Amino acid sequence: MRGLLQLFAAYGGFLAFFLLEATSLVLIVQYNHRQKDIFNNSWGLLTAAAEKQVDNITEYWGLKARVLDLQARNIKLMEERDNARYSTAVYRDSLQADSTAPMFTFIAANVVSNSIISANNSLRLDRGAADGVKPHMGVISSDEGLVGIVRETAEHYCRVMSLLHSQSRIKASIRRNGYFGTLAWNGGDPMRMQLEAIPKHAEVAVGDTIQTSGYSQIFPKGILIGKVESAKLGPGENFYTITVKLFNDLSKVQYVYIVDNLMRDEHEELDRAEDE
Amino acid sequence: MIHITRFFAFYIFQVLILKRLSIGWEGPVFFNFLLYPMFIFLLPLRTPQVVALFSAFALGILVDMSYDSLGVHAGASVLTAYIRPWVLGWLEPRDGYNVNYSPNKARMGAPWFLRYASILMAFHLVFYYSLDAFSPVYIVDILLKTLYSFPLSMIFVIMVAYIFDPEA
Repeated sequence: MRGLLQLFAAYGGFLAFFLLEATSLVLIVQYNHRQKDIFNNSWGLLTAAAEKQVDNITEYWGLKARVLDLQARNIKLMEERDNARYSTAVYRDSLQADSTAPMFTFIAANVVSNSIISANNSLRLDRGAADGVKPHMGVISSDEGLVGIVRETAEHYCRVMSLLHSQSRIKASIRRNGYFGTLAWNGGDPMRMQLEAIPKHAEVAVGDTIQTSGYSQIFPKGILIGKVESAKLGPGENFYTITVKLFNDLSKVQYVYIVDNLMRDEHEELDRAEDE
Repeated sequence: MIHITRFFAFYIFQVLILKRLSIGWEGPVFFNFLLYPMFIFLLPLRTPQVVALFSAFALGILVDMSYDSLGVHAGASVLTAYIRPWVLGWLEPRDGYNVNYSPNKARMGAPWFLRYASILMAFHLVFYYSLDAFSPVYIVDILLKTLYSFPLSMIFVIMVAYIFDPEA
């Protein structure tokens, strides 16, 4: 009580002013039509603006669910594409109806950490063995292009050998004529890789699109990788030296898909038989 | 005692005579004669601020009842009463005030009183027309109305100051 009195003694003028001014404003709004209309209109605008802000914030919260939803839809579409399916059409007595079985499926993942500056770069993704990720699975970008190959998996995370790794070897082919070679990275520019082992009788032009060949069973066939930037054939050499400019920028990759080959076991079985 | 008399005198003069002199309602040309704020100007220097605020509010409400604009004059009067100490602070003479008197023409001299009343009247008119328009959208109208009403109201303030010229 004493404190309240002291407060009133110190700020009495201001409190009285505030009280009386507030009373006046209430009276103005209550008993004057024009001011009442203005007040209601302004109040409406204010609440509308506030609601819009709240909407924006809740929309932002909803983005996560939206990304998951879009990833699921993308996976559905990617699974439907020809390069992700195994064709069971076989010519017997008459041509059977063209039918396919699922061959590739995809696991959406987010990049947790990434590097591009060393000679052997790797990424870490937030999906692991618990989500069905296994070593030697391919990783593609949610835009266009490749990211790398899974090396090790933990329960909830996996480590990916980046395309930009001195040991990365990707089987790639020229989209226009099908000649295939091996894509490697010699360090340096994170936007450029070298396509090796394209024979000298192949016709290579600057601007040709490079895609995955599908021979490795890691990536589906026909995923776009980049464009030929320069193709050189040294005197007396049998293979081109081709520089490929990548479509995707690995320094800002954020959403990726891990490629799961459902027929992987069969290929491994054959590999073992070959080794014996 | 004289201030209570003055309270009602200003009130009656304002609502019975000056109200009829006001011309126009909508549009930029709008003449309004406001004399009653002079009551606030002439309150004694030692008046506690709470008392000043409440009496300003009471006078404003009474005027509002006649003008059928409940709250507008009251709000402007309370604001005027609230800023009065600052205006007095700006205009303080070198040897200070004698707190027993009112800041009127007889005590402070005509030039001082004119400046003091002009500043407060200008504030009061801006407050009044702002509360009347009730939106910053009408800022031009507010300032124009203040510009037109200011000299007219000041004529009456000066007339009253010269005719009555009380010492209290």
